[in-house]
Amino acid sequence: MLLLVTGALFLPQKPEYKQTKPEDLLYEIIQPTRYVTTDQVAKMIIDKDPSLELVDVRDVSSFEKFSLTNAVNIPLDSILSKSNQDYFGISGMKVVFYSNDDIKADEAWVLTRRMGYEDTYVMTGGLNCWIETIINPEIPSDEAPYTAFERYEFRRGAQMYFIGVNVESKTTKAKVTVHRKKKEAAPSGGC
Amino acid sequence: MHVHDLNPKKTLVVVIIFVLIIIAGFLTLKQPRFKYKLSLQQSLNMLHNEEACFHPWQLADVLSKVNGNVVLVDLRDNFTYSKGHIPGAENISAYDLTEDKYFNHLKDLYNKGVTVVLYGKDRLQANGPWMWFRQLGFDNIKILLGGYNFYKAHKADLSKSKEDKSYILGIPDYNYSEMAQPRNASMGEAKKNKKKTPVIRRKKKTTTASGGC
Repeated sequence: MLLLVTGALFLPQKPEYKQTKPEDLLYEIIQPTRYVTTDQVAKMIIDKDPSLELVDVRDVSSFEKFSLTNAVNIPLDSILSKSNQDYFGISGMKVVFYSNDDIKADEAWVLTRRMGYEDTYVMTGGLNCWIETIINPEIPSDEAPYTAFERYEFRRGAQMYFIGVNVESKTTKAKVTVHRKKKEAAPSGGC
Repeated sequence: MHVHDLNPKKTLVVVIIFVLIIIAGFLTLKQPRFKYKLSLQQSLNMLHNEEACFHPWQLADVLSKVNGNVVLVDLRDNFTYSKGHIPGAENISAYDLTEDKYFNHLKDLYNKGVTVVLYGKDRLQANGPWMWFRQLGFDNIKILLGGYNFYKAHKADLSKSKEDKSYILGIPDYNYSEMAQPRNASMGEAKKNKKKTPVIRRKKKTTTASGGC
């Protein structure tokens, strides 16, 4: 009995979260579905998607200078702290990590996924890509497919939403020419 | 009188059998294939370890065979690999890493003390698998900063990339607060932040009464 009690004292402490098995973690790491684009994030913000939870993993001073709408700041170095874990694993919520690019966000994803938290994503390209695609979208070339123009139109709308730039669509619109019938000088026919 | 007091030898045999069963149970217990060697905190600290990274300019020594203790592993799929890869690199698609054949090969390299450098098309593609191996205790596995794309763009003179730090990610390329500042307060989100100051227009007093009797 005494032996059992002593043995129990040396048992490793069980963490509060259920750790993902290593093989499952690698399987999820290689899935492209864990990434979301800046366009998808912009759309969720514009739609005021209540399930979106943006997590900025940059340091506090960078976050204070600029952050995405309604984002919370959890610097990567403090991602394991107990108080910050309240933001993860909320049923029905999608956690999207972002940083200057996507590396730190990716690292945050791997660590939190190992902790067993699901529905977490990484914003590809981070804020650098946000600026390039949403704030300063590039005009597609004339040879670009139709979808590129559609995406560009969305980005111009998102740009207007986020920074209030007056949008004058730069895509070529066919001019409508109205041809009016010429009035005849004297009525023809009749009584 | 207790039943075992009648036959103490029988009691001893029962205890020995019991202990043997426990020992046999432990010995035949199926060990998990993969096990984390680093705790979460150690995994987080590892991210600051400069030694876990491999710079593109370090490739110059590997390619000229000056450093023969390095094995390059291309994690892209076989088709992409066949279109072009770093000379001498082995191809193990990220999807095949847990296959016995490849995992045991990487384990052998670890036991031999060989440095393994993982790379994908960019750093992001190899970042997850690299973190995974590190958490499993493979401290010989490093990540190629910049990935294949950076190598391809600079392969003519890799040593020059020592001055070029563009492959080091995590740096803001823009002044976000300046670039994403609302530019026209009459539209979008900006509208909410700036309130219009009400302009009170008063009627001008006229000196003479207009109209009426």
